[in-house]
Amino acid sequence: MSTDNPTDWAGMAASIQRLFRNTVVAVSGALSRRDGQVGLAVSGLAYFLLYLTGLRHLGLGPVGYEVSVVSNPLTRTFRQVGPFQWEPIALVVAGPVELLVAPLNMFLGAVLALLVGLNLAVSVVAWRGPAACRLGPGAGAVSGLPGLLSGFACCGPTILLVIGVQASAGLLSLFQWLLPLTVVALFGTLLWVGSRVETA
Amino acid sequence: MGLSRRRFLATAGAGVTLGSAGCVGSDGSTPGAGSAPGSGTETSAASTVTDRNDGPEPPTADSRLHLDYEIGTLEENIVSGGVPKDGIPAIDDPTFADTPPDGLAPDDPVFGLVRDGEAKAYPQYILVHHEIVNDTIAGDSVAVTYCPLTGTAQGFERGPVEFGVSGRLVNSNLTMYDRGTDSWWPQMLATAITGPLAGESLREFRVTWTTWDRWSSTYPETRTLTEDTGFQRRYGVDPYGQYNEKRGYYSSTRTLFEPLHDDSRTHPKAVVIGTRTETGALAFDKETLLRQRVLTGRIDDTLYVAVADTDLATGYVYANPESLSVTASDDGYTVHGTTYDADSLPLDRTLSFDAMWFAWAGFYPESAYVD
Repeated sequence: MSTDNPTDWAGMAASIQRLFRNTVVAVSGALSRRDGQVGLAVSGLAYFLLYLTGLRHLGLGPVGYEVSVVSNPLTRTFRQVGPFQWEPIALVVAGPVELLVAPLNMFLGAVLALLVGLNLAVSVVAWRGPAACRLGPGAGAVSGLPGLLSGFACCGPTILLVIGVQASAGLLSLFQWLLPLTVVALFGTLLWVGSRVETA
Repeated sequence: MGLSRRRFLATAGAGVTLGSAGCVGSDGSTPGAGSAPGSGTETSAASTVTDRNDGPEPPTADSRLHLDYEIGTLEENIVSGGVPKDGIPAIDDPTFADTPPDGLAPDDPVFGLVRDGEAKAYPQYILVHHEIVNDTIAGDSVAVTYCPLTGTAQGFERGPVEFGVSGRLVNSNLTMYDRGTDSWWPQMLATAITGPLAGESLREFRVTWTTWDRWSSTYPETRTLTEDTGFQRRYGVDPYGQYNEKRGYYSSTRTLFEPLHDDSRTHPKAVVIGTRTETGALAFDKETLLRQRVLTGRIDDTLYVAVADTDLATGYVYANPESLSVTASDDGYTVHGTTYDADSLPLDRTLSFDAMWFAWAGFYPESAYVD
């Protein structure tokens, strides 16, 4: 299709604008409802915890209670240890739970969790609503999956052992792109889901 | 497993964060020119240090160790390990204690080092997160190194420089870089394959792979590396598996990266005690050696004998060009009617170390394998 015609460009711009507007309205609508709020909270929190677990920053360990912090936390915060992975600056032990605190990874995890949560919230509303196209609420969750896998890129992608595939330059490059891919996929599904919700 | 000692440091920054988180074995090492500059070689700092290649050099051996490949071939086979340079941070400011960390069980692997009466133990569960410790022992600057993917713990004299983790692998093996010249050194080869020192071999010394129980029984005065590394890690978690009992990568037939050469003479992760000289390489099956106590093999026409140290569950390899008879006895090993300990036979001992078979065979496809 040729898009040289200014009228076509204007039409496309209008469509995109409408898509974003619809999505914003859909998200607002979803978050004004109880089921939407619950969907956001539950799925967002679950994803955040899974992301940290995937990074091996969260897990079970010997029982204890303490907080220890590196001597130069500000510098260490920005020290990259892998693709989209930064140096932990603190370890929190609360009972059997161990949490490594890497602020930039927590921020990244929170952004991803928010996107997953919004996807789920809108999906739930669309699914329970009268829309002709009934989307399963799993669409957003599936889009968030690569982000969970990105944690396994560190220290040799050990997840490949489980899958039974040997690492290669191509695969390792793919691991580096998992996180940006996740962000794009989550935005894409959010726009798509938003476009399916009746907002008129 | 108990929780190790950790320091509590209350800082405002942390508070905010937490709130929001809801025989080439060298006995005479080159004395170090200075102490380690402290923990935390930050990426930014490291780049200013390591991008130059005209800095101080680590001491090198008088002659190059044998390689089964051209240096260019090895260089072509460098692959990314998935982490950037220093992404796995070496320990530059190690701390030691007279008592072991709480997280160290009797049967957990440790890498032991003795020099001039000073004994040190480096727990595998700590090194799996760092791979290199830039340390000093008996006044000498040394690097104790460990590659989880090849199961190799080796020691190198480092002189005035430190070693870091390049993030690259060859044949699954840790490729170190020196912070003086930025030459790259695959650990098992102990020979630089890129940079100003390409073709040079490092001066090595023996590091013993054993268990904490065996090491501390043999060297009760040993000091042990602590978890106070300058970094925060969940030291109870080994990303690859578990040694006590063996699980995950350490027992699987699978490798993460394709070896330089496939050799199915035994299980890929079977442990061999390997030695290499200027002319060739030779590997003894560790399990068989511990069971039979004496094994023999050849590099070219020269006979070598391996004997087991039953206290440390390790082995030593000696050149035996005159084919002297070495027999195991209750008290040690008998040569010419005299009994000797496993580590002090009246023969020239060559440097040897534990390695996973796939890694040894990958680097040294022409190596004999004795089982």
